[in-house]
Amino acid sequence: MLAFPKNIDQIKMRNQRIMFWIARGISYSIIAILILILFFILKRGIGVINWEFFSTMPKEGMTKGGILPAIIGTLYLVAGSMIIAFPIGMLSGIYVNEYAREGQVKRFIKLMTNNLAGVPSIVFGLFGMALFVNQLNFGASILAGSLTLALLALPLIIRTTEESLKAVDNTFRHASYALGASKLYTIRKVVVPIAFPNIITGLILGIGRVSGETAPILFTVAAYFLPRLPNSVFDQCMALPYHLYVISTSGTDIETSRPIAYGTAVVLIAIVLFVNLLANFLRNYFSRKVKMK
Amino acid sequence: MSYKIETRNVDLYYGDFHALKNVSMQITPKTVTALIGPSGCGKSTFLRLFNRMNDLIEGVKIKGDILIDNKDIYKIKTTEVDQLRRNTGMVFQKPNPFPKSIFENVAYGLRVNGIHDRKKIEEQVEKSLKQAALWEEVKDKLKKSAFEISGGQQQRLCIARALAVEPEVLLMDEPASALDPISTSKIEELIYELKNNFTILIVTHNMQQASRVSDFTGFFLLGDLVEFDKTKKIFTNPVKQQTENYITGRFG
Repeated sequence: MLAFPKNIDQIKMRNQRIMFWIARGISYSIIAILILILFFILKRGIGVINWEFFSTMPKEGMTKGGILPAIIGTLYLVAGSMIIAFPIGMLSGIYVNEYAREGQVKRFIKLMTNNLAGVPSIVFGLFGMALFVNQLNFGASILAGSLTLALLALPLIIRTTEESLKAVDNTFRHASYALGASKLYTIRKVVVPIAFPNIITGLILGIGRVSGETAPILFTVAAYFLPRLPNSVFDQCMALPYHLYVISTSGTDIETSRPIAYGTAVVLIAIVLFVNLLANFLRNYFSRKVKMK
Repeated sequence: MSYKIETRNVDLYYGDFHALKNVSMQITPKTVTALIGPSGCGKSTFLRLFNRMNDLIEGVKIKGDILIDNKDIYKIKTTEVDQLRRNTGMVFQKPNPFPKSIFENVAYGLRVNGIHDRKKIEEQVEKSLKQAALWEEVKDKLKKSAFEISGGQQQRLCIARALAVEPEVLLMDEPASALDPISTSKIEELIYELKNNFTILIVTHNMQQASRVSDFTGFFLLGDLVEFDKTKKIFTNPVKQQTENYITGRFG
């Protein structure tokens, strides 16, 4: 008769428990880190937050007053970059997944998309300055900044579009072709609507990435101090991340400027969270619209 | 006698893989032909010849003649492929309604092909749903999502969707294999009804189903059409030993 080790079942149970607690501990600690960051920043920045902080211009060398131009600037840049990057990225993802034939070319496109995602953001900044600001003569402007940020977000949007389309079961495509539908009609009416809620995820990720970036806007749009709102896309603007950098590093009156820096961080995080929530809402909306279960 | 569908010495290759070997078959109009055989024998590939769905796979090579109404469907212009596909409805293994309303699912094939007259579309949707024996069950919820009805109803919706463009040939790729017994018997009854107006090819793994619904049966093995005859003959007195082994369940 086979003799199993004594207590083997207890040992298995114990090992299970240990692994379970390690895994649970790690995932909880990640939440804890996020809460810690939020708490840390809120505690230091909440003091300066009031209506005036949102609605007025910086005053007295940015040691007083609000951050309205930086908020508006960031919103413009996020909107501008997404208006450029989302359609282009989506079309490109559609091309890669639906039209490009398997093989060298497709692999090359994917490789290059991945490489583009790996380019440091300061390099995008330099490139944006060379091309958009100088070569195309847009000057330091919302247009140049948005274009630069769009480049940064493109790979994310392309990849998520591609993955979302790949997840659409082929039988949907075949059923459409079998009814005499063209490829274009099938993509427009069946494939993209099914994939759209997931494609929105790319938009969310893109917004998250773009709204916090400092390096790409440094040379292409961000103004150190601009006590008015931008008039056109060829205007410079302030932006929250850069403003945060400026008031944290320059100025001698740390006592008064530090809380403003933290307050700016609170607003930046709040805007990112808000936009993410909005995008999530959009995603659920389209999800319900295609009624996938 | 004129056949609805005819294949003459058809060979099909996926790259180097020889998936169909010298297959010749004649299919009589308004009959049901069952295609049986173990997995990977080429029966689904054979089915997909007739609406040129194999064209979608890269590296496919096809030799031989494939005729519908005496016309070689691989010698038509590219622009005529859509017409061919309208003429040959297809039903898939898993119910795959589009993520649209019940109404829009059936209307899809009409809109695709340029019919936009609302009244015409409504008529055709009702007619198709009736043909698919689904009208009574869904007539009050046409605007509801197609995902809200049962799997068996979804499959009949897919049949209605295929019927809406008024095809003459209906290709069914294991249409009941993902369904429960009651839904399966409804589909089988439906096939029996549809035979009056359509020429039907059905791939199935279910021997009883083949013997119940079909007039003719073709047995495939490793890309060969081993035997093709009246269903009654195949199931009672097959000529080939391999056929007898398969239908009696000795392999598969």
